[in-house]
Amino acid sequence: MQMSRDELIGAYRRMATIRQFEMRLHDEIKSGEIAGFTHLYCGQEAAAVGVCDHLDDDDYIVSTHRGHGHCIAKGCDVKGMMKEIYGRRDGLCKGRGGSMHIADLSKGMLGANGIVGAGAPQAVGAALSAKLDRKGKVAIAFSGDGACNQGTTFEAMNMAVVLKVPAIFVFENNHYSEHTGVDYAVGTNRDIASRAEAFGMKAWRANGCDYFDTYSTMRELLDHVRGGGGPAAIELDTERFYGHFEGDPQRYRGPGELDRLWAERDCLKNFRARVGEGGLLDLAELDRVDAEVSQLIDEATSEARAAPPPDPAHVAEDVYVEY
Amino acid sequence: MAKLKPFTMPKWGIEMSEGTVAEWMVAENAPFTKGTVLTLIETDKITNEVEAEADGRFVKLIAKPGDTVQVGALLAVLSDGGEASQAEIDALIAGFVQADTSFTGDDATPAPAPAPTPPPPPVPAAPPIPDGVAISPAARAQAQAAGVDVSAIHGSGRGGRITAQDVDQAARPDTAPKLVGSFPSSPSDGPYASPMARRLSVLHDVALDGLSGTGPKGRIRKADVLAAVDARTPVPSASPAPAPSAAPVPAPVASGDVDVLPMSSMRRTIARRLTEAKQIIPHFYVRRRVRADRLLALRSAAQGKRPSVNDYLVKACGLALMEVPAVNVQVHGHEIHRFGRADIAVAVATEKGLVTPIVTGAEGRSVADISVVMAALAQRARAGQLKAEEFTGGSFSLSNLGGFGVEQFDAIINPPQGAILAVGTARPEPIDDDGAIRIVPVLHLSLSCDHRAIDGADGGRFMAALANLLEHPELL
Amino acid sequence: MAVMNIREAITRTLAAEMERDESIIVLGEDVVGGAGTAGGQEAIGGIWGTTPGLFAKFGPDRVIDTPISESAIVGAAAGAALAGKRPVAELMFADFVGVSLDQLWNQMGKFRYMFGGKTRCPAVVRLIYGAGMNAAAQHSQSVYAMMTAMPGLKTVLPTTPADAKGLLTEALRGDDPVMFFEHKALYGVKGEVPDGDHRQRFGEARMVREGGDVTIVTCGRMVSFSEKACDKLNADGIGVDLIDLRTTSPLDEEAILDSVEQTGRLVVVDESPPRCSLASDIASIVAAKAFSSLKAPPQMVTGPHAPIPFARELERAWVPSPGKIENAVRQALAYR
Repeated sequence: MQMSRDELIGAYRRMATIRQFEMRLHDEIKSGEIAGFTHLYCGQEAAAVGVCDHLDDDDYIVSTHRGHGHCIAKGCDVKGMMKEIYGRRDGLCKGRGGSMHIADLSKGMLGANGIVGAGAPQAVGAALSAKLDRKGKVAIAFSGDGACNQGTTFEAMNMAVVLKVPAIFVFENNHYSEHTGVDYAVGTNRDIASRAEAFGMKAWRANGCDYFDTYSTMRELLDHVRGGGGPAAIELDTERFYGHFEGDPQRYRGPGELDRLWAERDCLKNFRARVGEGGLLDLAELDRVDAEVSQLIDEATSEARAAPPPDPAHVAEDVYVEY
Repeated sequence: MAKLKPFTMPKWGIEMSEGTVAEWMVAENAPFTKGTVLTLIETDKITNEVEAEADGRFVKLIAKPGDTVQVGALLAVLSDGGEASQAEIDALIAGFVQADTSFTGDDATPAPAPAPTPPPPPVPAAPPIPDGVAISPAARAQAQAAGVDVSAIHGSGRGGRITAQDVDQAARPDTAPKLVGSFPSSPSDGPYASPMARRLSVLHDVALDGLSGTGPKGRIRKADVLAAVDARTPVPSASPAPAPSAAPVPAPVASGDVDVLPMSSMRRTIARRLTEAKQIIPHFYVRRRVRADRLLALRSAAQGKRPSVNDYLVKACGLALMEVPAVNVQVHGHEIHRFGRADIAVAVATEKGLVTPIVTGAEGRSVADISVVMAALAQRARAGQLKAEEFTGGSFSLSNLGGFGVEQFDAIINPPQGAILAVGTARPEPIDDDGAIRIVPVLHLSLSCDHRAIDGADGGRFMAALANLLEHPELL
Repeated sequence: MAVMNIREAITRTLAAEMERDESIIVLGEDVVGGAGTAGGQEAIGGIWGTTPGLFAKFGPDRVIDTPISESAIVGAAAGAALAGKRPVAELMFADFVGVSLDQLWNQMGKFRYMFGGKTRCPAVVRLIYGAGMNAAAQHSQSVYAMMTAMPGLKTVLPTTPADAKGLLTEALRGDDPVMFFEHKALYGVKGEVPDGDHRQRFGEARMVREGGDVTIVTCGRMVSFSEKACDKLNADGIGVDLIDLRTTSPLDEEAILDSVEQTGRLVVVDESPPRCSLASDIASIVAAKAFSSLKAPPQMVTGPHAPIPFARELERAWVPSPGKIENAVRQALAYR
């Protein structure tokens, strides 16, 4: 597998954008200005970017309540997202959806979702559409170790196999479904990929905190699916650096657990180490990317803060296409 | 230069709304490292430590230990390292805007009311309804017939479509609602009873404990309480009839000397109209006894300024006329004019003679309201200050000589009205109360009817409705 | 009488009833929290803080953390109830009724009827509902009308700590499936709670205010909003019969009709969209059975026919407010 220098920098930029976006939100949410529930993706950046870097705007993804990373990786406008999370009129979804319901169909992003397990069946449908269109497109369902226990996910996997559609089930196992551990909640000995295999599809496993592992495994998987091999699954072993939602007191964490995760499982740090060791990139270049991303996030935040709120008179619009 | 940030009350869990700063664990301007415990925050559920997420120092501590503040409130000014000038600190504090973190939707400001529909021009200057106006066929016809300008109407139908109800409303004059007001709250504990049963039990002083309910699962209902009121042995002294003592007794005319008084113009008018009435109108009379114990008890229980018995009668007549509209009429030649509301002329004795000011829309007014209106009308009647429209017209008359101790009498119809009710005083009398003989205050009512417009059955129905209302005065 | 908030009243009632009846079990997502983690059990005690301490007291057999599997949670409650237990299943957000709907709608609510009256299904499903937290379209809904519509389910909405205790006790002692709705914004409401055994009958509405001009029928969080409206209206001499339904199934129709027969004016306040809602249900009952008493068309104060939006400004516009309720009462009085 080969990657160009530009591709490497691009991957880093997307991961850094997710990271800084989420860390800024973690800070901003403390002020109380951002309403509602916000679930941060920080720690899982390599998963979203490692998957989406293989896709273009015509491939579909469906996301989860922890969807900011998927949105950014799939190319959603960062400023529009920030405005949406601030509940502004010019947000990506006009302030109606908020953090849990960001969508941008022009980017093939079919929507984040507040209902755990709701996405997988929709990905099967999108994959069915892709199959009928015969353009080699795929549909990806991002699910967590929580959603892997929903009946909807099981049904979707079986139906994808039965219909032989190009659906890909990406399970980001961050070891916590809300406040409960994967060791307890996933009966197959915390192994999610084997469930997919049991439904009759090929499944892969990769380190979701390692961009290169995720990216290269996905390449293999996509070759299989795009080559007509039917649906497939991948379980990404990853980490959630913040709580289930912002405000989660995280009493389920062990002593020193978070410090260890930040020290050992930080995908950005790993990325820098890998490209630095191999002399693939000048780290100063990545520093420049960091600075540019920081400026983007600064602008996105201040623009979102200053942006006008939605007009309450429009509360009942967009319920239907035609009335 | 140090970068300053607000340090605010954190939110833990989904529904924390405020917290208390239990203690600051670091001093102002003392540098700290990532992971240092900065402060202890108490909520109603837990006490939590807040750890430093990065190296830094507080250049200003604002909240004091013990302060309870909203989530998002400014607790301190955080620096990423260095010290800061007072001006920088002041600028951050001045620029800090605390977000509104309360549950939304709890604002008590009234939403803007829909624009009131202005009253339409009075007469059929119905502007044509332009094409494209969303309006139902019946509403269109009604607007054209009534001359209503629909352009001023905000339709209540889907997409602002104008309905017949909208046109009907626009065609009517504004009304001020006649208010009953609040009731004291009834006890919510005690036996299983419906809310209305509880209210009536207080009103009638009936103990719910003794009652067996006929509702589901033995629930005591309104009807059960009313039955208990019916069955109760009345205590005559508890509800005395109004004392007749104040009534002036006409002096016998002294023999020999006769004062000859010319009729005033008002007297002449009364004389002419009543003569005509008695000569032209085929009167017939419907009489009925009505137990008044509950009415008198209700009146004596009334808070504040007590309405008179007559005020209750006005209301009762108003409601009974709505039930039996055949009595709520005027007779004009070969036409009977039947009215949609009860405008009741009440006979008031003045020095100059009888006047009959009118309580309009009596059916829709509360008794308290009637009492106020009636007092004002009577006062102005006695002062000769009534305006013509206050004593002309009317769809029915009421004459009450109870105040004079009169037991029963018949009245002459006040044309063009179709009927008049004559009311005497309430006297203790025996009645047959479902087989038991009881002595309760009883009113004698006599209804004079114009047989040209009203039949005996109408009069009978009216008296039955009236009796029912007076015997169940909570309906008033 | 002890003073506590609704959250505490629910926790204490669950504990007291579990103590009394060992067939009661509690299950749901994170009702304990921390299963299979380094931090260990009791990490949260329910994200609404309504079940802390139960695990320590009654152990893992009776206080059960589940995977995120709402269909299985509710279905398991239905099955356990058929098999002699009294399960209390928690749906962290009432909106998740969508995931578990078959188990409620086609199963739990219909067993007794379908099986010829031979079965009992004494399951209690706790549904945390309501807007006000900017939780957007899938975490803010009040789905009680839907549950009310299903024959076989009882639908309960406490608004005071005393009622939370009384209604939950009644639910746990009764033999029918009960949908127990807890409003997010009401958990902190404090009030006196009777000591000892306290049961509140279903189908018995609470008169919150009494007055003769307008009847307001409502439930849940809208009761307190209506009280605020009443304060303004009372100041203008307008008397309101304010009825807190407490349970929408069974429904205290008598309290509603008795009041409307006296006032002649009805305002229904319902934190949901207007169509096929509690508001339309109550309005239709009154129109059908108290038509002759009505002096004005029934007024319905509801959200718009739209999902619940995220932004503060939009959510505020969506939810009925005291001001909108006050306006509706004045509209009813202005009808001519």
